[in-house]
Amino acid sequence: MPNIINLGDGAPDQAAAERAAETRLLERVRDDGDRAAFERLFALFTPRLTAWITAQGCEASTAESVVQDVMVTAWTRAHLFDGSKASARTWMYTLARNRMIDHFRAGERRNRAHDGYATLEPLTREGSEVPERDANRAQVAALLEELPAEQRRILLLVYVEGRSHREIAEMLSLPIGTVKSRTRLAFNRLRKLMEGDA
Amino acid sequence: MSIVHHPSEAWLLDYALGNLNEAFEAVLRAHVGVCAECRATIEFAERLGGELLHALPAAQAPGGAREICDEHEQRHNGAAAVSRAHGLGATDDIEQFVQVYLNSSLDALPWRQIGRGLRLCRLSEQDGARMWMLRGQPGTVLPVHGHGGSELTLVLKGAYFCGSEIFRAGDIEDADESTEHRPVITRDGECVCLAVTEGRLRFRELAPRLVQPFVGI
Repeated sequence: MPNIINLGDGAPDQAAAERAAETRLLERVRDDGDRAAFERLFALFTPRLTAWITAQGCEASTAESVVQDVMVTAWTRAHLFDGSKASARTWMYTLARNRMIDHFRAGERRNRAHDGYATLEPLTREGSEVPERDANRAQVAALLEELPAEQRRILLLVYVEGRSHREIAEMLSLPIGTVKSRTRLAFNRLRKLMEGDA
Repeated sequence: MSIVHHPSEAWLLDYALGNLNEAFEAVLRAHVGVCAECRATIEFAERLGGELLHALPAAQAPGGAREICDEHEQRHNGAAAVSRAHGLGATDDIEQFVQVYLNSSLDALPWRQIGRGLRLCRLSEQDGARMWMLRGQPGTVLPVHGHGGSELTLVLKGAYFCGSEIFRAGDIEDADESTEHRPVITRDGECVCLAVTEGRLRFRELAPRLVQPFVGI
């Protein structure tokens, strides 16, 4: 089976090129204090980070503040970025994740309005329109399509809405063991696909 | 430290994404600090998070890039909390661990004897999750019990058996409502564990059920 996603160096596909371009931008910020590169990174990441943080149950004003903090950290501490260890998007994601943990314990995010799953799930439904111009989005959608619907749903609830596996078991009225096994199958499937072992 | 037993991927994902309360996060952080395999799993979870971020429809976001550049100087050295720290310290020594993280010595903790060869100390309770330190003498047999929720047990010192499995220092036993077990401390030495439980334990035998309301486990 061909790799759905190839994160290796020199990958020919458009999504890999976009990923590499993001990393080069961050390296220019790190090495040269390149303001234009930072502005481009800002434009690339803040809409997605805002969407993710909002889906986690934060109000728009809070999400804006968190995203601002993340981008300040990306600018002031770019010297800590190591492109050999992580891509720019992984690094930015972990910055945002850490900021979310600092700002809100998991319990504080619970019981808020969540619509992250609803906004992401249509991407993978049959017949849905995947914007061809957005290679990354199409690639992630293809990746998620590799999973059975029940596994995909759990993974998106964990990632997009920030639900714990215990919360998901209660939400979906599933035994906790079922949630654990579906998570394991989904996670290991994606890991094989992304690491090129499949 | 040779680690054989790990928390399930569901726990590691929750940990990686910060979806846990402090008690479960603390016990997982201690395990991940000494477990390269779980650190690799978490690194992949972060990488997957970065990719999934790009599947989200873009939200309207305010500008401000130039202002950030104008108002903040770039740093060129120094560590920062960009990477998340795993582990509970740079030591595997149980006494140092307890001293650093509980600000106490192991012996000074408020232990309660709850049966022959077994002492228990409740460290915290938050959001229905209770954190315990357990200290069992060699050869101690715990009562058979099931669980009313999740339970993670990290072995800090010594070892215990559950059926044919042996859990040693660094290992985590991942139990839930489907698990019924009877831990038996090995005869090699004292066993000290850090455990987080949700819900009440379900004991088969009468004696532990009688003690249960007083201990709160």
